Amino acid sequence: MALDEDVDAVRQWARDEPPTPLTYPVLVDRDHLVAELYGIVNVPTTIWIDEDGRIVRPVSIAPADNKFQEFTKIDAEVHNDALRAWVRDGVAPLDEDAVRARLDAPSFEVQQARAERRLAMHLVRSGHAEAGERHLAIALRLAPDDWTIHRGSMPLRGKDPFGQEFFDFYESWEAAGRPGYGS
Amino acid sequence: MVAAPRTQRATIVDGERVTEVDVRVDTDTVFLAAGEFTRATGWTLKPEGLCRDDACFPVRDRSAVVADDDTISLRGAADVLGRPLALEADPPVAVLGEAPAAVGAALASGRAPNFALPDLDGGTIELDDYAGRKRMIFAWSSW
Repeated sequence: MALDEDVDAVRQWARDEPPTPLTYPVLVDRDHLVAELYGIVNVPTTIWIDEDGRIVRPVSIAPADNKFQEFTKIDAEVHNDALRAWVRDGVAPLDEDAVRARLDAPSFEVQQARAERRLAMHLVRSGHAEAGERHLAIALRLAPDDWTIHRGSMPLRGKDPFGQEFFDFYESWEAAGRPGYGS
Repeated sequence: MVAAPRTQRATIVDGERVTEVDVRVDTDTVFLAAGEFTRATGWTLKPEGLCRDDACFPVRDRSAVVADDDTISLRGAADVLGRPLALEADPPVAVLGEAPAAVGAALASGRAPNFALPDLDGGTIELDDYAGRKRMIFAWSSW
């Protein structure tokens, strides 16, 4: 599920890049509706759902490989081993209390931030960049740890997600103890 | 002679619903005709309150929701529904977000809420299309 404005970019990653065709559905959540429903604030994020529709592993940061381990500080094989154990042997990754603890309602500030982000993207998309930037600033102030807001808005706003503005944010985020980047 | 208040064309965004309506822009809100409010949000103002399907939210202070000319304040309605409202006056665009209680309720059951999203081939896929199987939602991005 790509949290992307640009379907061509999604197609490039999902269709052109892989050496063999992907066998699973690739969806596009342009307006972050599903992301917000499930509480996704960064990528890559994984959510596991069992045969009965129960969430057995809520929002977890899960890089698929260790290409960026220097930044993520997460070993991808821990998640991948757990995934294999669940799929093949039904091993549950978390107990019910741990699952429930991660399914809280969001705060009103977070919901306001998400509405401001959606407004900002609509305004930028329709040619009102200045108004869009104003509302994005409100969203960033209300939800500073939500990467789908600041980094997710960069391509549409003509900013480079791998550029200096992002790395400045990354350094201050790391200095603050990497908030929101749990397992 | 009193001139009629000027209305403007506005966009109201509510989830997947995007509607163009005529509104009167005021400080921190827009006012729209009751029928237009229902068309844009799916909610209807009744004597019992703001209602949709079987649910009604009572309106304790009607003057905060309904103006003298019977138009509905989007801000007043959002407050009654517990929903955030992001509003730009120029151009007039309003985004009604989800109430924290609604998001919490969807997750509180521990069951994965169904959704529908477009795929890369012009089709639509729903989570429930794969009911009865283990599923992993993997959220990623080009950024």
